[in-house]
Amino acid sequence: MPEVNYKVGLIGKLDMLKFKNMPKVRNAAIDASPSTPLKGIEPTNEKAKAHHPKQIEFVIDDILQNGPDAKTVILKKKDGERLPLFRAGQYISVDVPIGTTHTTRSYSICSSPALAKEGIYHITVKRDDAGFVSPYIQDNWKKGDTVIASGPQGHLYYEPIRDAKKVVALAGGSGITPFMGMAYAIRDSYEDFDLTVIFGSRTEDAIVYRKELDEVCAACDKVHVVHVLSDEEKEGFEHGFISADLIRKYGGDGEFSIFMCGPQAMYNFLDSEIAKLGLRKKFVRRELFGAIKDPWNQPGYPEEIRGRTFNLHVVQCGKEYDIPASADESLMVACERAGLVVPSRCRSGECGWCHSKLLSGDVFIPEKTDGRRAADLDYGYIHICSSFPASDVAIDVPAKPVDTQ
Amino acid sequence: MPKYDAVVIGAGNGGLAAACRMALAGKKTLLIERHNLPGGCASSFRRGRFEFETALHELCEWGTAEKFGACRQTVVDDFGVDLKGHIVPENFRVITTASDGKTKIDATLPCGQQPFIDAMEKYVPGCRKSIEDFFKIGTEFHEAGDYSLSVNGKTDPAYMQEHYPNFLRLGSYPIDKVFNAMKMPKLAQDIMGTYWGYLDVAADKLSFLQYTNMVWLYVTYGAWIPDKTSHELTTGMLESFRKHGGETWFNCSATKILFDDEKAVCGVETTCGTVETKHILCNANPTMVYANMCPPEVVPERMVKLHNAREYSARMFVVYIGLDKSAEELGLHDYSVFMPESADSVREYQSGKTIKDNYNMVSVCYNTVNPDFSPPGTCVVSLTTTFSGDDWANVDEEDYFKTKNMMANRLIDRFEEKLGVTIRPYIEEIEVATPWTMCNFVNTPQGSAYGYELSGWDSMMPRMMMMGTEFPVKGLKFVGASSIRGDGYNSAIFSGNTLARKTLSEMKEEEEG
Repeated sequence: MPEVNYKVGLIGKLDMLKFKNMPKVRNAAIDASPSTPLKGIEPTNEKAKAHHPKQIEFVIDDILQNGPDAKTVILKKKDGERLPLFRAGQYISVDVPIGTTHTTRSYSICSSPALAKEGIYHITVKRDDAGFVSPYIQDNWKKGDTVIASGPQGHLYYEPIRDAKKVVALAGGSGITPFMGMAYAIRDSYEDFDLTVIFGSRTEDAIVYRKELDEVCAACDKVHVVHVLSDEEKEGFEHGFISADLIRKYGGDGEFSIFMCGPQAMYNFLDSEIAKLGLRKKFVRRELFGAIKDPWNQPGYPEEIRGRTFNLHVVQCGKEYDIPASADESLMVACERAGLVVPSRCRSGECGWCHSKLLSGDVFIPEKTDGRRAADLDYGYIHICSSFPASDVAIDVPAKPVDTQ
Repeated sequence: MPKYDAVVIGAGNGGLAAACRMALAGKKTLLIERHNLPGGCASSFRRGRFEFETALHELCEWGTAEKFGACRQTVVDDFGVDLKGHIVPENFRVITTASDGKTKIDATLPCGQQPFIDAMEKYVPGCRKSIEDFFKIGTEFHEAGDYSLSVNGKTDPAYMQEHYPNFLRLGSYPIDKVFNAMKMPKLAQDIMGTYWGYLDVAADKLSFLQYTNMVWLYVTYGAWIPDKTSHELTTGMLESFRKHGGETWFNCSATKILFDDEKAVCGVETTCGTVETKHILCNANPTMVYANMCPPEVVPERMVKLHNAREYSARMFVVYIGLDKSAEELGLHDYSVFMPESADSVREYQSGKTIKDNYNMVSVCYNTVNPDFSPPGTCVVSLTTTFSGDDWANVDEEDYFKTKNMMANRLIDRFEEKLGVTIRPYIEEIEVATPWTMCNFVNTPQGSAYGYELSGWDSMMPRMMMMGTEFPVKGLKFVGASSIRGDGYNSAIFSGNTLARKTLSEMKEEEEG
């Protein structure tokens, strides 16, 4: 017998009967309930689904020349509905099928969040003649074409709980795009902070979004732009590269957050410039690093693999493939070249969308773009967008997800 | 068409446990998961130099190094997962106003029955006997549970009456009734009821049996957290599954369950192709599966009625914060602090129905237990509240970010105010998850994390007692928070393990014809 004895009702035996009767009570509750058909989706889920679509179908509403080598593509939601509201600065990952290759690229949404209501996002594609995708888009995309992209992604946005009230944005070339979105968001009262954009271009003629920037600055006293020209010395422009001194000059004495977006060379240069400012990490944010195209220049690269081609065995949801993989390119690129469709978003090792199991073999992962979770290192998981084969390799990759009911 | 002995839909804790158990038994098993990661709610994510724990506050039923708890036995002994972690030394701190509306409560309760009882007596002089008896009853409940397991649930009523009479007499009541019967002082009841949020059922409907089980386990054996977040636990289980020959398809959603002429499961249609199987262990929500993936004629009317009678439980809202000062520098000493407006859980539960009224919150600072949880000189705090209603359905897309930040600001303000600390200037990273976020990542109805409400008629005990009729569709069993034992990592793992075993014995019967 236990040393304590409690009952709730007056008679312990009845308490026990109540216990025994629990299934009866439960059955009675079930019986009393209606047999109306079960609801297959809840309102919250519908809203969440609209806010976080796995993919969005757009039609190209228009394409506008923007400076000498950039084009702005106006994307309109195909079904005419509204688009998800985004945090200004976020990007969409656009599917680009080119022949048998299925690849993606990330483009910042450079239009106002207000246009999302009308089903419109703008992206800007700058031509890089050495590149694979941007010339293709510039030469082939036309009004009326269908474009598939992800919903808004990424973390380069103003967060009032975290960031200083003043943001100094450092933009290089087409790196202006997230800050265009932010400037519009401030003008249209979606965001509330002071934005000073220090915008580096080669020459005055090469400046993208010149007119639009001038217009936003004129319409909104919270947005300021400082142009810096690297290849020209002109009245009314700063000259050279964006430097610590320039950031100090326009950042002022108060607290400010630095947001950066531009080419990798700019980030590498700015790393040492920003270090001179002695800012806390929380005040320095940068857009995705981008895919590393020169792994051999990264610390730790095993030089002997450069230029070699390995066998890549891919397991993907019940299917298996053997494909060639160059040590100079990421495993993701190898998959895409072979015509496989793999999940891909940031292509910078950061977002984890391509999280895959390394079944065998060795890979080189540049430290700069190693955004894995701690346990992934123990259990051999990799982000294939930032992993380069260093031997024959076998991987298990997820499917590219699709929206379902 | 590929053929599997079993298909597990969903790689949450329940699905992973089920998948491991099946693979361990040598069954050809396919695990499909709509996301690209294992774990469901039990996961992690990175921002800057921080990795955030998505869900876990304290893992229950882990036991001690000398005596493994049931959950640890399953994961470590059976599945062979090698995990490193830390014991949480305190059960909780609670800062609130007593249900009398006046008395201020600020109590810190340590692990271990005796230290816990002593602390309770210190906070509420005169409550000692009722707390001691509470643990004695808890011990009896555990012995009853062990006995039930030892006889495979075929318990002898006379034996039960002789050895576990409190179990039988108190097992059908909610905690408020039993606490009163035990003459526990009201203030002690207020403190003892602190964990109600872990099950998200208020004291008037919260099963004394289930609650006592949980509190007894936490206090007796302490709680535990893995060093590298839930992602270490769930990836570990996934690896065990792989090692035993299991196959996993990520980013793959089940779209339809296929049935034969006898209305028994014969396959699953997925976004990556159709597979043949006679046994599905499903970690997805039963209501959604019955409504969207099964033809109406195979779903028994009783199941339709059951799921119409149920409420979803605990729609999650979490603020994840990475700070650029250490916990010590910020004066954060507590691991877990419960900060409801009031210790009156009935009132709190009611307030939790709307965004406007929900001021409840639990904070966790992982670095106080695991100093290496984040880089030196930093720490991680998460602030969690649950919604007991579906108010996030009323938020307009256009107001979503504003609403999210308003709620996050509310929790941060209260955290600073209640603990008398300053964290705002040190926020290096912040991420906010709402019920919409939950819908996106785990696709549960209304962004709920606890399955169906474990209240009254639908609490754990009657669910367990009726396990035999709970899954009437042949070949289809549900695991995870919406299953027989409700929410909690240990309960989800228990359900996966138990229902996989049941499936294995059915397979054996089939083989033997």
